[in-house]
Amino acid sequence: MAATRRLQKELNDIRQSGLKSFRDIQVDESNILTWQGLIVPDNPPYNKGAFRIEINFPAEYPFKPPKISFKTKIYHPNIDEKGQVCLPIISAENWKPATKTDQVIQALVALVNDPEPEHPLRAELAEEFLKDRKKFTKNAEEFTKKHSEKRPTD
Amino acid sequence: MNPKSESVEASRGSEASSSSINSTPDIVEDQLTSGNIMKRAAAKQLIEKYFYQLLDGCGNVNCDNRYCASSGAARNLSPNEAAAEAIKLFYKEARLCSSVTPNKVSRTDSNSYEPSPSSTLGPNHKNTSENKENQNITTPEPSTASRGEPHTSHTAQQQKQKKRKRYNSKDYQNVVLDGAPLTEERIYKLCDECLQNRAEEPLSKALSKAFSRPSILARCFASKISENANETSKDTEKESKESSRSCDPDKDIDSVAAPQLDVASCRRAFQYLAKVPTEYYSTDLVIALKSLGSYLSKDLKSEKLSIEDAVNCFVITFELPNLGCSDYFEIALPDVCLAIGELPIKGQARLARIWSQYCKDSLRNILETLQQLISLRVVSCNYHVFFHVQEDGHVTGPTRVLKVLYYASILAGVLDSNTLHEEPIVIAHQHDPLESVLGHLYPPSSMKGARNSQLNDPLAVELGVSVLDSRTPYLPFEDFYNEPLSDVIEMDKDCEDYEMVISRPNTRFSFLRHPFVLTVASKSLGLYYENRLRMYSESRAALLQAAVGAARPEPFLRLRVRRSHLIEDALVVLEMISMERALDLKKQLVVEFEGEQGVDEGGVSKEFFQLIVEEIFNPDYGMFTHQQDSRNVWFNPTSFETEAQFTLIGIVLGLAIYNNVILAVNFPMVVYRKLLGRKGSFEDLVDWNPILYNGLKDMLEYTGDDLEEVYYQTFRICYQDVFGTNMFHELKVNGDNIFVTQENKKEFVDLYADFLLNVSVETQFRAFRRGFLMVTDESPLGAFFRPEEVEMLVCGSKVFDFHELEKSTEYDGGYASDSKIVQDFWGIVHSLPLEDKRKLLQFTTGSDRVPVGGLCNLNFVIARNGPDCDRLPTAHTCFNVLLLPEYDTRDKLQDRLLKAINYSKGFGLH
Repeated sequence: MAATRRLQKELNDIRQSGLKSFRDIQVDESNILTWQGLIVPDNPPYNKGAFRIEINFPAEYPFKPPKISFKTKIYHPNIDEKGQVCLPIISAENWKPATKTDQVIQALVALVNDPEPEHPLRAELAEEFLKDRKKFTKNAEEFTKKHSEKRPTD
Repeated sequence: MNPKSESVEASRGSEASSSSINSTPDIVEDQLTSGNIMKRAAAKQLIEKYFYQLLDGCGNVNCDNRYCASSGAARNLSPNEAAAEAIKLFYKEARLCSSVTPNKVSRTDSNSYEPSPSSTLGPNHKNTSENKENQNITTPEPSTASRGEPHTSHTAQQQKQKKRKRYNSKDYQNVVLDGAPLTEERIYKLCDECLQNRAEEPLSKALSKAFSRPSILARCFASKISENANETSKDTEKESKESSRSCDPDKDIDSVAAPQLDVASCRRAFQYLAKVPTEYYSTDLVIALKSLGSYLSKDLKSEKLSIEDAVNCFVITFELPNLGCSDYFEIALPDVCLAIGELPIKGQARLARIWSQYCKDSLRNILETLQQLISLRVVSCNYHVFFHVQEDGHVTGPTRVLKVLYYASILAGVLDSNTLHEEPIVIAHQHDPLESVLGHLYPPSSMKGARNSQLNDPLAVELGVSVLDSRTPYLPFEDFYNEPLSDVIEMDKDCEDYEMVISRPNTRFSFLRHPFVLTVASKSLGLYYENRLRMYSESRAALLQAAVGAARPEPFLRLRVRRSHLIEDALVVLEMISMERALDLKKQLVVEFEGEQGVDEGGVSKEFFQLIVEEIFNPDYGMFTHQQDSRNVWFNPTSFETEAQFTLIGIVLGLAIYNNVILAVNFPMVVYRKLLGRKGSFEDLVDWNPILYNGLKDMLEYTGDDLEEVYYQTFRICYQDVFGTNMFHELKVNGDNIFVTQENKKEFVDLYADFLLNVSVETQFRAFRRGFLMVTDESPLGAFFRPEEVEMLVCGSKVFDFHELEKSTEYDGGYASDSKIVQDFWGIVHSLPLEDKRKLLQFTTGSDRVPVGGLCNLNFVIARNGPDCDRLPTAHTCFNVLLLPEYDTRDKLQDRLLKAINYSKGFGLH
């Protein structure tokens, strides 16, 4: 059965645009409401790896916002141990149906590259990030090496 | 357009206003000393009689006077023609019927300078606004000039008249000036005079004159547009008004004809007046208002005053800024309120419309003043068997005004554009063969039809609006509750009156006919008595049946169920009852669990409800789904359960209301709206699923031309069933090929909401509502309660105020509020986390919901249960009694209490 037109269109657009920071997009034929893909950050300490995320679109999309979760473990003040991320652009209060998924992904990549310790999900990491950046960077790098996926080579 | 009625009104209005000049009796007497004037007055009286005889007739059906309208011989005259004819008849000394409308004649009693009908009704005079010009005629030049009123388009004839009049009324100039209608400019002038020269007399006199007579007051602050306009534009204006009025006055609230009254001007004038210290004029004004009230009542009763004029008076009076000050409201306001009660429904509707359109800013002030008036009276008055609050005009009068205000607030607020009704469900009652035999001996069945037709408020019907149409009233519904009043009303008595109003309208006053003023708790009591009254009439019937040898029916609704097969048993029994004797569903419920000894004094049925609700609303059961975003439950559109199960839960909901049991269900509000008969619409999504609502709203507010591209949404929507499978639905035929555009987005949203709230759950909801109506169909539930209030009846209010509970708790068995253990108990309770408080409530009352009206309505009792020992506290849930051994220490108390509430699920009924 044909999926929602909007999502199909967005998926095609994103695939065609060839985003560098979001690749390897996988969508199950039977369920277009769930996407998987690789986030490829540019900034240290995360530029040593790639992170798999899952985007879940609600049936009522675009009138309800999608949810994003990390499948790869990441050492980040704004992403908790379960992989949940708090992204203002897709929060229930801020969501605008006109927002496109590529904007959401760009906001996500920006957040990964530049953590926002003012609105942390993991307070201890935010504190470390603010008080002892060196230690934070070291920990995050080690964590990335240990847990993250390989970056695409091209 | 109907010139006849308009001009009749005009002539009557002018009469009324001129007769009001009589209000100064000394002047009138002076006048009457002149014989000449006497003669003229007599002549005029006669002409008047002819005039009304020609127009209205004498009222005698067998009248044979060819100059009388009642005989049918006189041809249909316009008032102008009639006036001319009347003068002719006067000279002819034609026959005059003896009983020509005495009330009308009395209005015009001897008053020399009053224009006779013939003189007022010039060929160009048709409009009510003309009266003002008539007023001008009697008003001397200087005053008109000072009021800045232009006098336009007087015909030569009028000019002549004017001269004559001025000549005649020379001596009474001052009187006439005082009695002239107030205008904004005149108030300014009077106020300035008062402030600058400390000359308060002209101001207070003018106010007093204007306010003491309805006929003058009705002409105050007349809107200038209609006065300035020339004749032709006046006519067209009137015509358009007329036509808009005739095109469906009930439905279209905008069709209310603009009052001949400039409310804004009136308000400005009164604001200016507020600068003058009230002591300069308030005494006179209060006295004037008091007489205004009684005049209004009298004139409305005798239909002397046109509805429009009366409404103008009320509008102006309620614009007075210091209405809430003590003298006004203790002395003057009650009478004015009583007068509004005399206003026919059409007039009340007009007042509500004018208030809603022109006086929004004043509504809050009026509401507060009226509430204060009622509260003060109720608190300071001792009611007893021979003087019920229903008989106290000082309370009922303002309550009637509150009703007008209530509808004004609804009209002025946000109304739902969607007024689709749920299709009616007729509950076929088992026809009792004996009923038809005995039918003539007792009335219940014959009353049913009448009852249903009486449930609608006549004012609501006249306005063509229902509380259910209101999304956001201009003033919050809660502000209309009057608690002191609700507390003082004896609901059983009020309920009798409520029933009386059905059979004998206008003889009794019932607050249940004004349910907006009553708190939910008191209305819930009203519902209880109403049900009891109905039961009573049925048990009389039962007695009759017994007399002819039939078995006497059970006074209770008995349910015997097995704990292990709760739903199945309840379903079988209730289904049987609903098919065989649906009336029994309205009786008090008595539940027995098989193999258990508990006597149902409320506690057992409470537990029964609780268990049923727990099971049926369990998502695993599959009848209802839990919506994660909004934390409420909704019908599972793909439920495998039979419709009977949904009917059962509907019955349970109805029974819970009737048996005052609170259920732990969390329906979105739209369920209660739908139960009361309105279909769900877009606005209902707001608490059904707030995120979806916001998303859709966002699209509605999107203004770009590229909506089609940006949203890329078609008329096919996707939803998930309980198993997480994506399902699709086309909102229109071939919906996936129709894109949502700026033009059709509203249609899309409406169809979407309709699908989610109505279409997709139609089968389930219909069954559910059927069950609900089986219990409540004859009750005035819908008339007493708004959907929000029904929710409160079902779920209780949502605030846990244990301090409130402490205040209302009673003690037994040797405890008192100052016992050490009691004080320790509350110390512990107040420090408990919310979850434990909830458990304590569950433990002691069998439900963790707050009853309607708050925890203070729980009738909570703490009773001593022996001296210190190791036993745990226990409870009688049906009586909300906590049995507490007198433990030695606070620590022990805390330990035992927490153990009891955390480990007991069973039923401690002794």
